[in-house]
Amino acid sequence: MSEFCAEHDRSTRLQAQVQEALAGAQPLGIVGSGSRASLGLVPAGASLSVADHRGVIDYQPDELVIRARAGTRLIELEHLLASHGQRFAADIPVPTAESTLGGAIACGWDGPARSLGVSLRDTVLGCRLVNGRGEIVNFGGQVMKNVAGYDLSRLQAGALGTLGVILDVSLRLAPLPEKQVTRAFAVRREELEDWWPRCRELRPLLSASCWRDGQLYLRLSGRAGALDQVLPSMGGDDIAFDWKALRDLRSDFFGATGLACLFLPPRTPMAIQEGETLLDWEGARIWVRGGNHPELQRAVQDAGGFLRVLRGEAVPPVVAAPDWHRRLKQAFDPRGIFNPAIFSDQFGGGGEH
Amino acid sequence: MSAEALLTELRSRLPAECLLTQREQIAPFECDALPVYCSRPLAVVLAQSEAHVVAVATACHRHQVPLVTRGAGTGLSAGAKPIEAGVLLVTAAMNRILELDRDAMTARVEPGAVNLQVSRAAAPLGLYYAPDPSSQIACSIGGNVAENAGGVHCLKYGVTVQNVVALRVVTAEGQVVLLGSQCLSQPGYDLLALLHGSEGCLGIITEVTVKLTPLPEDTRTLMADFSCVRAASDAVSAIVRAGVIPAALEMMDALAISATEAFCHAGYALDAAAILIIDLDGDPREVEAELLLVEEVLGRSGATRVQLAADDVQRALWWKGRKSAFPAIGRLSPDYYCIDGTVPRHRIGDVLEAIQSFAVNYDLRVANVFHAGDGNLHPIIMFDGREPDVLERVERLAADILEYCIAVGGSITGEHGVGLEKINQMAVQFSDAEIAQFMAIKEALDPQRLLNPDKQIPELARCQEYRALRRSHE
Ligand SMILES: Cc1cc2nc3c(=O)[nH]c(=O)nc-3n(C[C@H](O)[C@H](O)[C@H](O)COP(=O)(O)OP(=O)(O)OC[C@H]3O[C@@H](n4cnc5c(N)ncnc54)[C@H](O)[C@@H]3O)c2cc1C
Repeated sequence: MSEFCAEHDRSTRLQAQVQEALAGAQPLGIVGSGSRASLGLVPAGASLSVADHRGVIDYQPDELVIRARAGTRLIELEHLLASHGQRFAADIPVPTAESTLGGAIACGWDGPARSLGVSLRDTVLGCRLVNGRGEIVNFGGQVMKNVAGYDLSRLQAGALGTLGVILDVSLRLAPLPEKQVTRAFAVRREELEDWWPRCRELRPLLSASCWRDGQLYLRLSGRAGALDQVLPSMGGDDIAFDWKALRDLRSDFFGATGLACLFLPPRTPMAIQEGETLLDWEGARIWVRGGNHPELQRAVQDAGGFLRVLRGEAVPPVVAAPDWHRRLKQAFDPRGIFNPAIFSDQFGGGGEH
Repeated sequence: MSAEALLTELRSRLPAECLLTQREQIAPFECDALPVYCSRPLAVVLAQSEAHVVAVATACHRHQVPLVTRGAGTGLSAGAKPIEAGVLLVTAAMNRILELDRDAMTARVEPGAVNLQVSRAAAPLGLYYAPDPSSQIACSIGGNVAENAGGVHCLKYGVTVQNVVALRVVTAEGQVVLLGSQCLSQPGYDLLALLHGSEGCLGIITEVTVKLTPLPEDTRTLMADFSCVRAASDAVSAIVRAGVIPAALEMMDALAISATEAFCHAGYALDAAAILIIDLDGDPREVEAELLLVEEVLGRSGATRVQLAADDVQRALWWKGRKSAFPAIGRLSPDYYCIDGTVPRHRIGDVLEAIQSFAVNYDLRVANVFHAGDGNLHPIIMFDGREPDVLERVERLAADILEYCIAVGGSITGEHGVGLEKINQMAVQFSDAEIAQFMAIKEALDPQRLLNPDKQIPELARCQEYRALRRSHE
């Protein structure tokens, strides 16, 4: 495996750094490669780097599980998996060649295939971390099913490093599809509502959807024999759509200074007045550049969804059960040393749902 | 705490028929489906609404009385065993299906709704609820969430946690919280996942919104016979390595086959050392392609015979056999005890061999029928409870098996939960720091430790005692 991934075990050093921080009552800002900094997901003044704690600990293709250290580059992992005909079961964004596995888990973001597949959270099987008492603790494991004790490994997905320093993670994998094809259709925004039921008919072969600039892109994945029979009657034009650029937020669309993302219940009509939009997840996620964030937040909340701002005017985040968030933070990190500013910005404030 | 004051408050807040305090009324609730653990609570409350649940939680909190929640009582780890000085809150009667949403493909149900009832209600929409525990005709969705239940078809479709989008939960203090939503992502910590498998220790579930799955267009079932258990085990890994994820991939060994065949004549090969039952489902053209692949792998792996179910009748019969394996084994043996460990798929063969050699040590027989595709073993220890020292032998055999699962990188439970049953083995799977971290979570959400306080997470002192005891047996 060394052919694909550099190997360094820095667990002891990372643990010592946490213990020192505890002794000196110094908060720690945890960072991988910092590749998500432009999306506001990396603490300012990062002081604990996990980037050189890297390498694959265990990978047996039969098991459909990989266990790797948090600093391992996602790109290296993708190459390793592809060489065995496999991929991550979730659609994990890889913003840059330097982006790390730990960063992906902490952010907990999902790419366009999420709506027809599984979320990153759903694929976290196990996790080892340094907690806020300076101890190394291990939860979950490499097996598919495990209900011994509370599920504290999934809790790390999307926790933005506020509950501990993730040392390594075990993730569920999936086979690479035999064949993958994208078709483009000319569809106006107001016609989309009629297209989503058609999309449902393409399940289980449909693996991702995206709409932008009057074009709807549908990706089908599966056995070649099945796709070859469906494609001739499907219509649309074959196109080499860059799904990775969309997943990794590298498409030009995402370069704007104001960028926000609306998460909606399925089939929720949503008129957006200001800014440019891009839809994926069959319309259950809408990206808006140059929008009016406070207005978007009001609209999305009325519709039973929520808004995330990646760049531009911030809005107070709304989490369910903020009191439980505070208590859990305290249970993992009693001295409040891990990413304290991120905790108060992202999880601390807001009212009850 | 004062029991009288609590009962007075409950009487004033609940309809009389919801509160049971007479010995004979309470008797049916003394244990779950693992009856070796049983006790009689102060009172049983049959809740009919979330308001009743809030009333009970608030009263227990005020009077500092422990509260155990029970769904349908089919649990196999004594998770719903009452506490003598406490209240048993039963959510089984809250069993309405509140809403089916065809567009969102979800169902909003009360916690007492029975698993199979949800799939039946969704069928007219062309949808179903995928996780299908063998107990699905009886177990409740609330209990499924609390145990993070699995089932035969979870290999492809995920276990309970992957099929629930939102919960309403009553906290230890009697507050209602809403976790999750119809959105495909959530802001904040994954509290929804935290509640899954929390065994009634972190909150009381009062409503569940489940994800529904389109009924597959086509399902085909294969059965493969093997003349040795090792070859059947290796075939399981080989199928996955070939890039196929079957909807179900189950294994039965010779003892399980003969018990089941005698019970329901499913048509299993009585001379096979093991059989695999495999479901492939989805798009018919994909199913066709995968069928060829799997047949080829089975042949290569040494299957002595591979059959494709001719029609739905035969499919149903093969599955009926699998799903009635427990009662079938129950007919062969006065008593049986089913355990639940998980191991990495490629170690299944080693573990099955080890189980047989452990069983010999204790002069006991073990049958195996399990979710091979996800490495979830269910060794069934057969015994006669009238034999003098037999319970101790059974318990030690079970401990040996579970600890072997840990040693090969697995877990002491894949779906039945820790409850009281496996609380000792927690000390083997986890370090003191890890147990303390679990305890900190428990205390964060239930500071007075009122919700199912004797289950799931052992005290540190108990862990140390148990580890010392096991060392002395070596
Ligand atoms: C023959 C048989 C076959 C089985 N097969 C399987 C199988 O294939 N897969 C599998 O996973 N399990 C299986 N089980 C075990 C059992 O059916 C499951 O664990 C099921 O999820 C329990 O549901 P229940 O409603 O009976 O819960 P109960 O037994 O009543 O309770 C189980 C736990 O859940 C808690 N609980 C119940 N309701 C709530 C609520 N509303 N809020 C909070 N906590 C609650 C209880 O406190 C307890 O800790 C089987 C059991 C039997 C008897």
